[in-house]
Amino acid sequence: MSGVNRSVPNDALLGRFVDLPDLLARVEDDRDLLTELFVIFREELPGLHGALHAAIDVGDLSRAAKAAHALKGMLANMSMERGATIVADVEMAARSGHISALKGTLASFDSEIAELSAAICAFLEGT
Amino acid sequence: MRILIADDESVSLRMLERTLQRAGYQVTAVRNGRAAVEELCRPEGPRLALLDWMMPELDGPAVCREVRSQRGQRHVHLVLLTSKNSKQDVVTGLESGADDYLIKPFDPGELKARLHTGRRILQLEDSLLEAREEMRYKATHDALTSLLNRGTIVELLAHELTRTRREDGCTIAVLGDLDHFKLVNDTHGHLVGDEVLREVAKRLLRSVRSYDFVGRYGGEEFLLVLNNCDAKKSIERAEEIRSAVCRSPIDTTQGTMSITVSVGVIASRGRGIETVEEFICEVDRALYSAKAAGRNCSRLA
Repeated sequence: MSGVNRSVPNDALLGRFVDLPDLLARVEDDRDLLTELFVIFREELPGLHGALHAAIDVGDLSRAAKAAHALKGMLANMSMERGATIVADVEMAARSGHISALKGTLASFDSEIAELSAAICAFLEGT
Repeated sequence: MRILIADDESVSLRMLERTLQRAGYQVTAVRNGRAAVEELCRPEGPRLALLDWMMPELDGPAVCREVRSQRGQRHVHLVLLTSKNSKQDVVTGLESGADDYLIKPFDPGELKARLHTGRRILQLEDSLLEAREEMRYKATHDALTSLLNRGTIVELLAHELTRTRREDGCTIAVLGDLDHFKLVNDTHGHLVGDEVLREVAKRLLRSVRSYDFVGRYGGEEFLLVLNNCDAKKSIERAEEIRSAVCRSPIDTTQGTMSITVSVGVIASRGRGIETVEEFICEVDRALYSAKAAGRNCSRLA
Protein backbone atom coordinates (compact mmCIF):
# COMPACT_ATOMS: atom_id res chain seq x y z
CA MET A 1 0.00 0.00 0.00
CA SER A 2 2.81 2.39 0.88
CA GLY A 3 4.27 1.88 -2.63
CA VAL A 4 0.98 2.99 -4.20
CA ASN A 5 0.77 6.12 -1.99
CA ARG A 6 4.36 7.03 -2.68
CA SER A 7 3.88 6.84 -6.46
CA VAL A 8 0.74 8.98 -6.62
CA PRO A 9 2.39 12.45 -6.96
CA ASN A 10 4.83 11.21 -9.57
CA ASP A 11 2.04 9.45 -11.43
CA ALA A 12 0.16 12.74 -11.49
CA LEU A 13 3.13 14.49 -13.10
CA LEU A 14 3.65 11.67 -15.56
CA GLY A 15 -0.07 11.70 -16.32
CA ARG A 16 0.40 15.07 -18.05
CA PHE A 17 2.38 13.31 -20.78
CA VAL A 18 1.23 9.71 -20.62
CA ASP A 19 -2.28 8.29 -20.73
CA LEU A 20 -1.55 6.01 -17.81
CA PRO A 21 -4.92 4.17 -17.70
CA ASP A 22 -4.52 3.40 -21.39
CA LEU A 23 -0.93 2.23 -20.94
CA LEU A 24 -1.85 0.11 -17.93
CA ALA A 25 -4.64 -1.51 -19.94
CA ARG A 26 -2.20 -2.23 -22.75
CA VAL A 27 0.25 -3.95 -20.40
CA GLU A 28 -2.69 -5.81 -18.84
CA ASP A 29 -2.17 -4.12 -15.47
CA ASP A 30 1.35 -5.48 -15.14
CA ARG A 31 2.98 -2.71 -13.07
CA ASP A 32 6.41 -4.35 -13.07
CA LEU A 33 6.34 -4.37 -16.86
CA LEU A 34 5.18 -0.75 -16.85
CA THR A 35 8.21 0.28 -14.82
CA GLU A 36 10.51 -1.83 -16.99
CA LEU A 37 9.12 -0.12 -20.12
CA PHE A 38 9.79 3.34 -18.68
CA VAL A 39 13.38 2.26 -17.92
CA ILE A 40 13.83 1.02 -21.50
CA PHE A 41 12.20 4.19 -22.85
CA ARG A 42 14.53 6.41 -20.81
CA GLU A 43 17.55 4.50 -22.13
CA GLU A 44 16.45 4.48 -25.78
CA LEU A 45 15.09 8.03 -26.09
CA PRO A 46 18.39 9.99 -26.17
CA GLY A 47 19.78 7.85 -29.02
CA LEU A 48 16.70 8.22 -31.20
CA HIS A 49 16.26 11.89 -30.39
CA GLY A 50 19.95 12.49 -31.14
CA ALA A 51 19.64 10.63 -34.45
CA LEU A 52 16.75 12.90 -35.46
CA HIS A 53 18.78 16.03 -34.71
CA ALA A 54 21.89 14.67 -36.43
CA ALA A 55 19.92 13.90 -39.62
CA ILE A 56 18.34 17.38 -39.66
CA ASP A 57 21.70 19.04 -38.97
CA VAL A 58 23.22 17.48 -42.11
CA GLY A 59 20.03 18.06 -44.15
CA ASP A 60 19.32 14.35 -44.61
CA LEU A 61 15.53 14.60 -44.57
CA SER A 62 14.96 10.98 -45.51
CA ARG A 63 16.94 9.82 -42.48
CA ALA A 64 15.20 12.45 -40.37
CA ALA A 65 11.79 11.10 -41.43
CA LYS A 66 12.86 7.57 -40.48
CA ALA A 67 14.12 8.71 -37.08
CA ALA A 68 10.90 10.66 -36.48
CA HIS A 69 8.87 7.59 -37.51
CA ALA A 70 10.76 5.41 -35.01
CA LEU A 71 10.17 7.97 -32.25
CA LYS A 72 6.48 8.20 -33.17
CA GLY A 73 6.13 4.42 -32.82
CA MET A 74 7.86 4.34 -29.46
CA LEU A 75 5.86 7.26 -28.05
CA ALA A 76 2.58 5.81 -29.31
CA ASN A 77 3.45 2.45 -27.75
CA MET A 78 3.93 4.23 -24.42
CA SER A 79 0.55 6.01 -24.76
CA MET A 80 2.30 9.39 -25.07
CA GLU A 81 -0.22 10.76 -27.49
CA ARG A 82 0.82 14.40 -27.50
CA GLY A 83 4.49 13.58 -28.06
CA ALA A 84 3.55 11.10 -30.79
CA THR A 85 1.39 13.72 -32.54
CA ILE A 86 4.15 16.35 -32.47
CA VAL A 87 6.78 13.97 -33.83
CA ALA A 88 4.31 12.81 -36.50
CA ASP A 89 4.29 16.45 -37.66
CA VAL A 90 8.09 16.39 -37.67
CA GLU A 91 8.01 13.23 -39.80
CA MET A 92 5.50 14.76 -42.22
CA ALA A 93 7.52 17.97 -42.54
CA ALA A 94 10.69 15.96 -43.20
CA ARG A 95 8.96 13.87 -45.85
CA SER A 96 7.56 16.91 -47.61
CA GLY A 97 10.85 18.83 -47.35
CA HIS A 98 9.38 21.83 -45.47
CA ILE A 99 12.47 22.95 -43.57
CA SER A 100 10.85 25.90 -41.77
CA ALA A 101 7.89 23.78 -40.62
CA LEU A 102 10.32 21.08 -39.61
CA LYS A 103 12.37 23.40 -37.40
CA GLY A 104 9.22 24.78 -35.74
CA THR A 105 7.79 21.37 -34.88
CA LEU A 106 11.20 20.11 -33.81
CA ALA A 107 11.43 22.88 -31.23
CA SER A 108 8.01 21.91 -29.83
CA PHE A 109 9.09 18.28 -29.78
CA ASP A 110 12.35 19.08 -27.97
CA SER A 111 10.45 20.94 -25.31
CA GLU A 112 7.94 18.07 -24.91
CA ILE A 113 10.78 15.54 -24.63
CA ALA A 114 12.62 17.60 -22.00
CA GLU A 115 9.55 17.78 -19.76
CA LEU A 116 8.61 14.17 -20.41
CA SER A 117 12.11 12.95 -19.53
CA ALA A 118 12.01 14.84 -16.24
CA ALA A 119 8.59 13.34 -15.41
CA ILE A 120 9.82 9.82 -16.18
CA CYS A 121 12.90 10.32 -14.01
CA ALA A 122 10.73 11.51 -11.14
CA PHE A 123 8.40 8.55 -11.61
CA LEU A 124 11.23 6.02 -11.65
CA GLU A 125 12.86 7.57 -8.59
CA GLY A 126 9.56 7.19 -6.76
CA THR A 127 9.12 3.51 -7.57
CA MET B 1 2.97 -22.42 -29.87
CA ARG B 2 6.13 -20.68 -31.06
CA ILE B 3 6.00 -17.17 -32.43
CA LEU B 4 8.62 -14.86 -33.88
CA ILE B 5 8.67 -11.13 -33.14
CA ALA B 6 10.81 -8.92 -35.34
CA ASP B 7 11.10 -5.32 -34.19
CA ASP B 8 14.12 -3.06 -33.74
CA GLU B 9 12.34 -0.84 -31.24
CA SER B 10 13.03 -1.99 -27.67
CA VAL B 11 9.81 -0.79 -26.00
CA SER B 12 7.60 -2.44 -28.58
CA LEU B 13 9.68 -5.63 -28.53
CA ARG B 14 9.50 -5.99 -24.74
CA MET B 15 5.79 -5.15 -24.61
CA LEU B 16 4.98 -7.72 -27.29
CA GLU B 17 7.23 -10.32 -25.74
CA ARG B 18 5.57 -10.06 -22.34
CA THR B 19 2.02 -9.92 -23.73
CA LEU B 20 2.58 -13.03 -25.83
CA GLN B 21 4.37 -14.95 -23.10
CA ARG B 22 1.42 -14.28 -20.81
CA ALA B 23 -0.84 -15.67 -23.53
CA GLY B 24 1.19 -18.89 -23.55
CA TYR B 25 3.38 -18.37 -26.63
CA GLN B 26 7.04 -19.36 -26.82
CA VAL B 27 8.60 -16.18 -28.12
CA THR B 28 11.68 -15.77 -30.29
CA ALA B 29 12.64 -12.10 -30.62
CA VAL B 30 14.90 -10.64 -33.31
CA ARG B 31 15.80 -7.05 -34.11
CA ASN B 32 16.24 -7.04 -37.88
CA GLY B 33 14.58 -8.40 -41.00
CA ARG B 34 17.43 -10.65 -42.11
CA ALA B 35 17.44 -12.51 -38.77
CA ALA B 36 13.64 -12.88 -39.09
CA VAL B 37 13.95 -14.53 -42.52
CA GLU B 38 16.63 -16.91 -41.22
CA GLU B 39 14.46 -17.95 -38.27
CA LEU B 40 11.28 -18.37 -40.29
CA CYS B 41 12.94 -20.36 -43.08
CA ARG B 42 14.51 -22.94 -40.81
CA PRO B 43 12.72 -26.30 -41.25
CA GLU B 44 11.48 -26.24 -37.65
CA GLY B 45 11.16 -22.45 -37.48
CA PRO B 46 8.12 -20.68 -35.95
CA ARG B 47 4.98 -20.69 -38.11
CA LEU B 48 3.56 -17.51 -36.64
CA ALA B 49 5.30 -14.14 -36.90
CA LEU B 50 4.73 -10.50 -35.97
CA LEU B 51 6.83 -8.22 -38.14
CA ASP B 52 7.50 -4.54 -37.80
CA TRP B 53 7.62 -2.63 -41.10
CA MET B 54 10.73 -0.49 -40.68
CA MET B 55 13.68 -2.59 -39.61
CA PRO B 56 17.41 -2.68 -40.40
CA GLU B 57 18.66 -4.89 -43.28
CA LEU B 58 15.22 -5.95 -44.54
CA ASP B 59 11.90 -4.24 -43.92
CA GLY B 60 8.72 -6.11 -43.03
CA PRO B 61 7.30 -6.41 -46.58
CA ALA B 62 10.70 -7.65 -47.84
CA VAL B 63 10.69 -10.28 -45.09
CA CYS B 64 7.23 -11.39 -46.26
CA ARG B 65 8.41 -11.67 -49.87
CA GLU B 66 11.54 -13.64 -48.94
CA VAL B 67 9.68 -16.03 -46.66
CA ARG B 68 7.03 -16.66 -49.32
CA SER B 69 9.70 -17.39 -51.93
CA GLN B 70 11.95 -19.57 -49.74
CA ARG B 71 9.67 -21.42 -47.40
CA GLY B 72 8.73 -25.03 -48.32
CA GLN B 73 5.23 -26.37 -48.36
CA ARG B 74 4.25 -25.44 -44.77
CA HIS B 75 2.52 -22.09 -44.47
CA VAL B 76 3.83 -19.47 -42.06
CA HIS B 77 1.29 -16.90 -40.85
CA LEU B 78 2.81 -13.44 -41.17
CA VAL B 79 1.34 -10.40 -39.44
CA LEU B 80 2.67 -6.91 -40.11
CA LEU B 81 2.51 -4.76 -36.98
CA THR B 82 3.37 -1.16 -37.81
CA SER B 83 2.55 2.45 -37.19
CA LYS B 84 2.25 2.96 -40.96
CA ASN B 85 -1.47 3.37 -41.15
CA SER B 86 -2.49 4.66 -44.58
CA LYS B 87 -4.76 2.57 -46.84
CA GLN B 88 -1.92 2.35 -49.36
CA ASP B 89 0.43 0.98 -46.67
CA VAL B 90 -2.10 -1.70 -45.76
CA VAL B 91 -2.49 -2.71 -49.41
CA THR B 92 1.28 -2.74 -49.99
CA GLY B 93 1.84 -4.79 -46.83
CA LEU B 94 -0.77 -7.41 -47.69
CA GLU B 95 0.40 -7.60 -51.30
CA SER B 96 3.93 -8.37 -50.10
CA GLY B 97 2.62 -11.64 -48.67
CA ALA B 98 1.45 -10.70 -45.16
CA ASP B 99 -1.65 -12.53 -43.96
CA ASP B 100 -2.78 -9.79 -41.62
CA TYR B 101 -2.03 -6.16 -40.78
CA LEU B 102 -2.20 -4.48 -37.39
CA ILE B 103 -1.61 -0.84 -36.54
CA LYS B 104 0.63 0.21 -33.64
CA PRO B 105 0.04 0.84 -30.82
CA PHE B 106 -1.58 -2.56 -30.51
CA ASP B 107 -4.45 -3.50 -28.27
CA PRO B 108 -3.53 -6.75 -26.45
CA GLY B 109 -7.03 -8.20 -26.82
CA GLU B 110 -7.16 -7.56 -30.56
CA LEU B 111 -3.60 -8.82 -31.03
CA LYS B 112 -4.38 -12.11 -29.28
CA ALA B 113 -7.63 -12.53 -31.22
CA ARG B 114 -5.87 -11.98 -34.55
CA LEU B 115 -3.13 -14.45 -33.62
CA HIS B 116 -5.80 -16.94 -32.61
CA THR B 117 -7.26 -16.59 -36.11
CA GLY B 118 -3.78 -17.27 -37.51
CA ARG B 119 -3.52 -20.41 -35.40
CA ARG B 120 -6.90 -21.59 -36.69
CA ILE B 121 -5.64 -21.19 -40.27
CA LEU B 122 -2.44 -23.11 -39.46
CA GLN B 123 -4.46 -25.89 -37.80
CA LEU B 124 -6.68 -26.09 -40.86
CA GLU B 125 -3.60 -26.36 -43.06
CA ASP B 126 -2.18 -29.10 -40.81
CA SER B 127 -5.36 -31.14 -41.06
CA LEU B 128 -5.43 -30.71 -44.85
CA LEU B 129 -1.81 -31.87 -45.13
CA GLU B 130 -2.56 -34.79 -42.83
CA ALA B 131 -5.55 -35.78 -44.99
CA ARG B 132 -3.46 -35.46 -48.15
CA GLU B 133 -0.74 -37.67 -46.63
CA GLU B 134 -3.33 -40.24 -45.58
CA MET B 135 -4.78 -40.27 -49.11
CA ARG B 136 -1.31 -40.59 -50.61
CA TYR B 137 -0.58 -43.53 -48.31
CA LYS B 138 -3.87 -45.23 -49.15
CA ALA B 139 -3.25 -44.74 -52.85
CA THR B 140 0.19 -46.36 -52.71
CA HIS B 141 -0.19 -49.07 -50.06
CA ASP B 142 -2.10 -52.29 -49.69
CA ALA B 143 -4.80 -51.93 -47.02
CA LEU B 144 -4.42 -55.46 -45.63
CA THR B 145 -0.64 -55.85 -45.36
CA SER B 146 0.48 -52.19 -45.48
CA LEU B 147 3.02 -53.21 -48.13
CA LEU B 148 3.29 -51.18 -51.34
CA ASN B 149 0.40 -51.97 -53.66
CA ARG B 150 0.76 -53.44 -57.13
CA GLY B 151 0.79 -50.15 -59.03
CA THR B 152 3.44 -48.64 -56.78
CA ILE B 153 5.80 -51.63 -56.67
CA VAL B 154 5.67 -51.98 -60.47
CA GLU B 155 6.34 -48.26 -60.86
CA LEU B 156 9.31 -48.50 -58.49
CA LEU B 157 10.64 -51.52 -60.37
CA ALA B 158 10.44 -49.57 -63.66
CA HIS B 159 12.25 -46.66 -62.04
CA GLU B 160 14.98 -48.89 -60.62
CA LEU B 161 15.48 -50.65 -63.96
CA THR B 162 15.98 -47.31 -65.68
CA ARG B 163 18.39 -46.15 -63.00
CA THR B 164 20.51 -49.31 -62.94
CA ARG B 165 20.66 -49.34 -66.75
CA ARG B 166 21.96 -45.75 -66.66
CA GLU B 167 24.46 -46.51 -63.88
CA ASP B 168 25.40 -49.96 -65.20
CA GLY B 169 24.13 -51.50 -61.96
CA CYS B 170 21.88 -54.47 -61.27
CA THR B 171 18.32 -54.72 -59.99
CA ILE B 172 16.89 -57.99 -58.78
CA ALA B 173 13.16 -58.76 -58.73
CA VAL B 174 11.81 -61.57 -56.60
CA LEU B 175 8.26 -62.80 -57.16
CA GLY B 176 6.89 -65.11 -54.45
CA ASP B 177 3.58 -66.95 -54.33
CA LEU B 178 2.32 -68.72 -51.19
CA ASP B 179 1.84 -72.44 -51.80
CA HIS B 180 -1.68 -73.87 -51.48
CA PHE B 181 -2.97 -70.65 -50.01
CA LYS B 182 -6.49 -71.36 -51.29
CA LEU B 183 -6.53 -74.30 -48.91
CA VAL B 184 -5.89 -71.96 -45.95
CA ASN B 185 -8.84 -69.79 -46.96
CA ASP B 186 -11.12 -72.73 -47.68
CA THR B 187 -10.25 -74.61 -44.48
CA HIS B 188 -9.88 -71.82 -41.94
CA GLY B 189 -11.72 -68.92 -43.53
CA HIS B 190 -10.60 -65.67 -45.13
CA LEU B 191 -9.93 -63.91 -41.85
CA VAL B 192 -7.25 -66.47 -40.99
CA GLY B 193 -5.98 -66.16 -44.57
CA ASP B 194 -5.63 -62.42 -43.92
CA GLU B 195 -3.66 -63.08 -40.73
CA VAL B 196 -1.28 -65.29 -42.70
CA LEU B 197 -0.82 -62.64 -45.38
CA ARG B 198 -0.06 -59.99 -42.76
CA GLU B 199 2.54 -62.18 -41.07
CA VAL B 200 4.16 -63.10 -44.39
CA ALA B 201 4.38 -59.38 -45.20
CA LYS B 202 6.19 -58.75 -41.90
CA ARG B 203 8.62 -61.59 -42.55
CA LEU B 204 9.35 -60.33 -46.04
CA LEU B 205 10.04 -56.82 -44.76
CA ARG B 206 12.40 -58.21 -42.13
CA SER B 207 14.26 -60.23 -44.77
CA VAL B 208 15.34 -57.26 -46.91
CA ARG B 209 17.46 -54.13 -46.47
CA SER B 210 15.85 -50.82 -45.53
CA TYR B 211 16.28 -49.47 -49.07
CA ASP B 212 14.72 -52.46 -50.85
CA PHE B 213 11.02 -52.44 -51.78
CA VAL B 214 8.36 -55.00 -50.92
CA GLY B 215 4.89 -54.99 -52.49
CA ARG B 216 1.78 -57.11 -52.64
CA TYR B 217 1.50 -57.99 -56.32
CA GLY B 218 -1.74 -59.96 -56.20
CA GLY B 219 -3.86 -62.08 -53.78
CA GLU B 220 -1.03 -64.18 -52.32
CA GLU B 221 1.76 -62.93 -54.59
CA PHE B 222 4.53 -60.63 -53.42
CA LEU B 223 7.02 -58.71 -55.53
CA LEU B 224 10.34 -57.55 -54.07
CA VAL B 225 12.72 -55.11 -55.74
CA LEU B 226 16.32 -55.30 -54.53
CA ASN B 227 18.72 -52.54 -55.53
CA ASN B 228 22.43 -52.64 -56.29
CA CYS B 229 22.75 -56.39 -56.00
CA ASP B 230 25.30 -58.85 -57.25
CA ALA B 231 23.56 -60.71 -60.11
CA LYS B 232 25.51 -63.90 -59.29
CA LYS B 233 23.97 -63.98 -55.83
CA SER B 234 20.37 -63.53 -56.94
CA ILE B 235 19.31 -67.15 -56.43
CA GLU B 236 21.06 -67.12 -53.05
CA ARG B 237 19.08 -63.98 -52.02
CA ALA B 238 15.85 -65.57 -53.26
CA GLU B 239 16.51 -68.63 -51.11
CA GLU B 240 17.20 -66.47 -48.05
CA ILE B 241 13.89 -64.68 -48.55
CA ARG B 242 12.01 -67.95 -49.12
CA SER B 243 13.53 -69.44 -45.93
CA ALA B 244 12.66 -66.32 -43.94
CA VAL B 245 8.98 -66.77 -44.84
CA CYS B 246 8.68 -70.46 -44.01
CA ARG B 247 11.31 -70.87 -41.27
CA SER B 248 8.68 -71.22 -38.51
CA PRO B 249 4.92 -71.85 -38.45
CA ILE B 250 2.59 -68.86 -38.34
CA ASP B 251 0.45 -68.25 -35.23
CA THR B 252 -3.17 -67.47 -36.09
CA THR B 253 -6.39 -67.29 -34.09
CA GLN B 254 -7.16 -70.78 -35.43
CA GLY B 255 -3.81 -72.22 -34.31
CA THR B 256 -0.38 -72.41 -35.91
CA MET B 257 0.08 -73.34 -39.55
CA SER B 258 3.07 -74.02 -41.74
CA ILE B 259 3.33 -71.99 -44.90
CA THR B 260 5.69 -72.38 -47.80
CA VAL B 261 6.37 -70.12 -50.75
CA SER B 262 7.57 -70.65 -54.31
CA VAL B 263 9.91 -68.00 -55.67
CA GLY B 264 11.00 -66.77 -59.08
CA VAL B 265 13.96 -64.41 -59.33
CA ILE B 266 15.52 -62.32 -62.07
CA ALA B 267 18.55 -60.04 -62.27
CA SER B 268 18.62 -57.16 -64.74
CA ARG B 269 22.35 -57.24 -65.55
CA GLY B 270 23.27 -58.82 -68.90
CA ARG B 271 19.69 -59.01 -70.15
CA GLY B 272 18.35 -57.18 -73.14
CA ILE B 273 14.95 -56.60 -71.55
CA GLU B 274 13.51 -53.21 -72.48
CA THR B 275 10.31 -52.88 -70.47
CA VAL B 276 9.18 -53.58 -66.94
CA GLU B 277 6.36 -55.73 -68.36
CA GLU B 278 8.89 -58.01 -70.08
CA PHE B 279 10.93 -58.17 -66.86
CA ILE B 280 7.89 -59.19 -64.81
CA CYS B 281 6.86 -61.69 -67.47
CA GLU B 282 10.30 -63.35 -67.18
CA VAL B 283 10.24 -63.54 -63.39
CA ASP B 284 6.69 -64.90 -63.53
CA ARG B 285 7.96 -67.73 -65.78
CA ALA B 286 10.66 -68.48 -63.20
CA LEU B 287 8.00 -68.60 -60.49
CA TYR B 288 5.96 -71.01 -62.64
CA SER B 289 9.09 -73.22 -62.93
CA ALA B 290 9.42 -73.26 -59.15
CA LYS B 291 5.76 -74.33 -58.83
CA ALA B 292 6.27 -77.03 -61.50
CA ALA B 293 9.36 -78.28 -59.64
CA GLY B 294 7.23 -79.18 -56.63
CA ARG B 295 6.86 -75.77 -54.89
CA ASN B 296 8.72 -74.40 -51.81
CA CYS B 297 11.83 -73.65 -53.88
CA SER B 298 13.41 -70.83 -55.91
CA ARG B 299 14.14 -70.68 -59.63
CA LEU B 300 16.21 -68.17 -61.61
CA ALA B 301 14.84 -66.68 -64.81
